[in-house]
Amino acid sequence: MSREPMLSKKTSIAYKTEEKTVLRGYDLSELAEEGYSFCDALFVLFQGRIPTEAEEKMLRYEMGSFLEHSMSPSAASALAVTAGRPNLPTAVAAGVMTFGGVHGPGAAHGYMMNKYIERAHKEGKTLDEAAKILVDEYMDAGMPVMGMGQPQHSDGDPRAEPIHLKQEELGSNGAYHEFQRAVEKHFHARRKREGKSYVGVNVVGAGNAALSDLGFAPNAAWCIGSVSRAYSCATHAIFSMKKSRAWAASKSEPMVQMLDLSMIKYVGPNDREVPSQEERQEYAEAQKKSGEYKKWVI
Amino acid sequence: MDKKRVIGNLDNPGLPYEYDKREYGTVPLDSSRAPFQWVSEVAYKNAHRIVTRGYDTTELMEQGYGITDIMFINFQARIPTVAEDQMLNYILILSLEDGLSMPAAMSRMTARSKTFLTQACGASILAFGHAYGAYSAFGNMLLEALQKAESEGKGMQAAAQELVASKLGDPALGVSDLMLKDPAAKRVFARAEKLGVAGKYIAFTKEIVKAAQRESSRPVDLDLLGATGAAMMDLGFTPEATWAIIAVTRSFGAGAHYIEEVEREGHTRLGETLTPKELYDGPGDRPVPPLADRDKVAKPAKTRTPDEWKAAFEERKKLHGSGFAIVEEIHDPSKKTGIKTLGKKI
Repeated sequence: MSREPMLSKKTSIAYKTEEKTVLRGYDLSELAEEGYSFCDALFVLFQGRIPTEAEEKMLRYEMGSFLEHSMSPSAASALAVTAGRPNLPTAVAAGVMTFGGVHGPGAAHGYMMNKYIERAHKEGKTLDEAAKILVDEYMDAGMPVMGMGQPQHSDGDPRAEPIHLKQEELGSNGAYHEFQRAVEKHFHARRKREGKSYVGVNVVGAGNAALSDLGFAPNAAWCIGSVSRAYSCATHAIFSMKKSRAWAASKSEPMVQMLDLSMIKYVGPNDREVPSQEERQEYAEAQKKSGEYKKWVI
Repeated sequence: MDKKRVIGNLDNPGLPYEYDKREYGTVPLDSSRAPFQWVSEVAYKNAHRIVTRGYDTTELMEQGYGITDIMFINFQARIPTVAEDQMLNYILILSLEDGLSMPAAMSRMTARSKTFLTQACGASILAFGHAYGAYSAFGNMLLEALQKAESEGKGMQAAAQELVASKLGDPALGVSDLMLKDPAAKRVFARAEKLGVAGKYIAFTKEIVKAAQRESSRPVDLDLLGATGAAMMDLGFTPEATWAIIAVTRSFGAGAHYIEEVEREGHTRLGETLTPKELYDGPGDRPVPPLADRDKVAKPAKTRTPDEWKAAFEERKKLHGSGFAIVEEIHDPSKKTGIKTLGKKI
């Protein structure tokens, strides 16, 4: 039995011997024995340090808030994957992998904040001034301001404002919190001036500001958010695998299933005859020349 | 659409239907049954709240509960005791990192392609199977053995002896030579006992360790799979829940490996990686026959008799990567216990 690592390279994250597993210098077993929490260990993982008690509490709050979000794209992905009854980790992985540009875009929001705070630093502006520049630049360009709005929680994301307040209560609110609050202030003011409806801060805006003030880099924050959600994706996937129909298309269920044939609404080209191979070249040339197909190209 | 002709074999009398008469067009909405909805007994949300197993998640946080408490609520629909929550934190810390093992390797390899971090984290979860991180196999093995022992009126010791007789050396046994010098696994059981959360799964796993030590010709002891798997089951998590929770926990570590890989190594382009000939042990270099000579060199795979089939099968096993040397299909042990049916009406 070879116990050589899958990859042979330098790492400053962890090492493992026959005697122990060491994370950033700390023996994992000793960390657990000492009574540190899982959230403490995440600070060690991403930042190489033991957090303060308040910081640990803030992370616990944040991750707990983010873990479950009922039917969001990540849970829907996990559920869809279970229809084929693969091994469970496949569905859980799909849930995590659903986090992209518009679903919990933690890294992008973090990079956005860093970019404008850096600008404030370089140009001698206040965080409030930099936040106004951000809002104006994004809205002038017709781009959504990251961290604002949630399609399902139309009157305000139930997790977001409480996260802001918890940060203030625990005293873990720093430059990012101040900057994010300023973004929200200028965003609301401009939408009001333009006669637009209220759009509240979402969990990415509030949560990511909190994670950033806790010292997590944009990608580390994204990892914490999206992987926390994977726990609940697993719950939804197991529920589906144990208590719902495989293939999700059964006609004998009292409710129309997710993959029932009647769920298909087709809006593509009309039914058409398959050309014979003798007709093919002429047919294909004519089709290409007409250009009608281009409206279907994706 | 009016079909004017029949193509190829589609008019073949061997077809059990007239292909030409088959309908085009989508199926109308089924109004005879209730419309499709996402059915869940786990969670729901509306515009104002997110509720899991009946508890508002924001109210839970405000009451001081944390992520590990929510795992109990999500998977088991209950608030854990303080000791149970402490034990889960303990297990998750041990599960967070494992050095440059397979989840980290998969995350790092995915990172090299310049992907989103979430792709790498997802890839790391795929490393968990029925050998590495075999929590489903391990847990279902315990459940099955204990159920069998109970139905046969056997004690734990006898059940463990019987299990070891057939499973010694199995990567899902939870007993191996992996942690002979590392005390971390045994400390898990000690901590569970100290917290008062150890139950029948830890007790049974201890018997398995003893039986394995009697039967094995080389030193073996409790490993991390057996320690954390049994402790999670004593906390009330099913084998499937345990499998997922540990895999997801490791995915945080895999995220750090993704970040470090990008920071220290950069990205790899298509075609960049070479495979030296010294690593190759397949057929020797040979000329590609002219296409016109295909009939002279090509031999059909078809066999006609069991003897011919067997001879061809054995020959094909010699080519690594053909798949013929894998004689046992991987099965999902979850189906033995937790997931028996194809589903039920809800």
